[in-house]
Amino acid sequence: MPSGSRCPDCGSSELVEDSHYSQSQLVCSDCGCVVTEGTLTTTFNDEGNLREVTYSRSTGENEQVSRSQQRDLRRVRDLCRILKLPTTFEDTAISYYQRAYQLSGIRAARLQKKEVLVGCCVLITCRQHNWPLTMGAICTLLYADLDVFSGTYMQLVKLLGLDVPALCLADLVKSYCSSFRLFQASPSIPAKYVEDKDKMLSRTLLLVELANETWLVTGRHPLPVITAATFLAWQSLRPSARLTCSLAQFCKLANVDLPYPAASRLQELLAVLLRMASQLAWLRVLKLDKRTVVKHIADLLQHRHMLVRMAFRDGTAEGETQKQQQGEQGQREEAEDSTFDVLERKRPASPAPLLPPCMLKPPKRSHPTPSVSAVTGDENISDSEIEQYLRTPQEVRDFQRAQAASQAAKSVPNPP
Amino acid sequence: MVGSPLMEEEEDMYLDLFLDPYTVQDAFPPAMSHLFSPRAPLDVYPLNLSNPEAVFSPHFGGVKETSSDFSSVDLSFLPDELAQDSKDQAVTGNRHETEQSRKTQDQQCQLQLPGGEDSGLSLNNGSSPGSHAHLYPGGAAFNQPSPEKSSSDSLPVASIVSMTPMNPVPECSGIVPQLQNVVSTANLACKLDLRKIALSAKNTEYNPKRFAAVIMRIREPRTTALLFSSGKVVCTGAKSEEESRLAARKYARVVQKLGFPVKFFNFKIQNMVGSCDVKFPIRLEILALTHRQFSSSYEPELFPGLIYKMVRPQVVLLIFASGKVVLTGGSSERWLCDLGQRFRACISGQPAEGTLENHLSKWNYSSLSLVSTMVQRHNQQPDINPLSLERNLGKSSPYSLKAWHRGYRRTKATRTQISGFAGGTCL
Repeated sequence: MPSGSRCPDCGSSELVEDSHYSQSQLVCSDCGCVVTEGTLTTTFNDEGNLREVTYSRSTGENEQVSRSQQRDLRRVRDLCRILKLPTTFEDTAISYYQRAYQLSGIRAARLQKKEVLVGCCVLITCRQHNWPLTMGAICTLLYADLDVFSGTYMQLVKLLGLDVPALCLADLVKSYCSSFRLFQASPSIPAKYVEDKDKMLSRTLLLVELANETWLVTGRHPLPVITAATFLAWQSLRPSARLTCSLAQFCKLANVDLPYPAASRLQELLAVLLRMASQLAWLRVLKLDKRTVVKHIADLLQHRHMLVRMAFRDGTAEGETQKQQQGEQGQREEAEDSTFDVLERKRPASPAPLLPPCMLKPPKRSHPTPSVSAVTGDENISDSEIEQYLRTPQEVRDFQRAQAASQAAKSVPNPP
Repeated sequence: MVGSPLMEEEEDMYLDLFLDPYTVQDAFPPAMSHLFSPRAPLDVYPLNLSNPEAVFSPHFGGVKETSSDFSSVDLSFLPDELAQDSKDQAVTGNRHETEQSRKTQDQQCQLQLPGGEDSGLSLNNGSSPGSHAHLYPGGAAFNQPSPEKSSSDSLPVASIVSMTPMNPVPECSGIVPQLQNVVSTANLACKLDLRKIALSAKNTEYNPKRFAAVIMRIREPRTTALLFSSGKVVCTGAKSEEESRLAARKYARVVQKLGFPVKFFNFKIQNMVGSCDVKFPIRLEILALTHRQFSSSYEPELFPGLIYKMVRPQVVLLIFASGKVVLTGGSSERWLCDLGQRFRACISGQPAEGTLENHLSKWNYSSLSLVSTMVQRHNQQPDINPLSLERNLGKSSPYSLKAWHRGYRRTKATRTQISGFAGGTCL
């Protein structure tokens, strides 16, 4: 006696499997209603009546799940497979999607948002497992707008209360560098441009770490910095042959899209390297510029920690030297001056402050401190002040006439 | 709300007076009497004399003008949310000569302002100059009468210091966020004909197909308002709460001059936006790491700043690597000042790069607990000095206190190399 299935007519659960001639039937023993009859049933009905159904045809839990949700869950799985993620990621992403679908805000959202939600779930899963995946990549895969994606992403993180770690920069460098098509000779790539992957990777990592230390990464999109660093690393590994190649050419060769900010990141990174180079005695005499410093990147990276400390000052060092200067200026001036001279000779240029580029640029407009206005909110409002905003009746009439005229002029070119 | 029917009547009465300056004043004195109950101490008057004469003169001219115009008496323009404490307490927030003139209620003739300047002048001359000396919005002058007045029920004067200060509180050493924008709403309580307003006023835009409101702008204070046909007004662009209130009143006046029977109800500040600069660069990725559990969101791919949603008070901070901070979501100017300091406390554990981890390890408690402790204390004692708070807490990192005093100068800490990229932390 199958339990759980009831006769649709009388609701009795006394269903008997009987056969009428050669056709198997499920019959209610109370009212005689034929519940299921041979092959003239749907899988859905069969399952509902606990008849055996082949697994490949079974609807399974899909009764509870709406069609759009089923489609999106399939999309999540497909996305995970395209990105070649481990299978555990798939399950996590699916679970996130299901949880998100419970929320009324998501369930009633437009289809566009649900499509983007697929990407958000995959992204969150990847982030939590420190798998480097950028939002740009997912947006291109989904053909989605970054604005819509960002809105949905923030909403999802807030609603589900998830803790999403930041993008892992080292892994991103590794995966992004590996995508550059420069590691094997091919007809489109001259031999002098082909590079060893490990060497380039290690140097790029060092350069990105340097950029991080010198405030070039904070607040900025990470990818252009990595592009610039990769370019510099590639150039520095064989500068004689590669100095003539520009950043745009490099990206085209490597079959990678050039992000727009990469050019300015490159300039910033070169400026940092130049400052560091000015601290090395044997490089100072060479009078390097932005092109020639590339040849010496290896040396600079080798001593980068010390050079950054020497080349840049931050608030503390400046404070120290200032205090020293002020405190000891009265006494032993000559001695101090001589020691300072010695120091100055070691650092010919006064050290630049180690600040993010946005703080180094001069402010676009001066920020005038607003005068403290003694407005109390209850001052009297003079009539004349209000009158200036009102139209006189004559003006109103003129305005109305002008409006009518413009309306007439607009309607004339379109005859009815 | 206690006394609300009372206040409604008064509001209506004051509105009538405001809207038609030449109404008969017969109804005035008896109506006023229940506001200025005789229980109010009459000794307020002699108190006023104690104030310096000098203060009187700059305001005398102002008083003269107000005498011909009822706006000085329009107590109906009081913010609703304060009305429940006491109408008078709300008035104290204004700190205008009207308040003082009202308090010297023994001279009820003083309130018979309409009728031209003569009566006004005689009014002012009649009352002692000392009474108008109260015009000076100084804390000291206020505190004197307040103890006396608190004894009376009808005129309980709340401690003035708790009202929004016009100038930044002097204890706010360090950052004082500057208000950039104040958004407020008010209710004009009458249906507006938007077409007529757009036609008769010069400073308006009205495009019903695009948006169902008239956009009106005034030059002083430089603000923009959205006027809806239901009579509600949204006023944006003011640089302070008082300015916003003045602007909203001006918009109400403009609409009133166009012939609508406007009132001015429910003036409420909806949002305040401030900005400040801590003057040192901030490692946003570190801040995001340490404050992740406190709802901070840093997505460099989407936005260059870190979005920090503080729970108490309910404000959102946008923190940028250059040290600039945008604060939004507040509802009083006071929080802006305190918030700037608390924020600085949060991130003053951020020294020059390289020593951050040392600092963070020495930070004894999470910065949010510090913030919330300070908020709690603040809510109990509105005027406490946050610096002294920190001392009282007694457990704060020495670095942070030194930072307060020395303006971010740090002792030369040993710089440890933070192993970059280990475990995915971007440093």
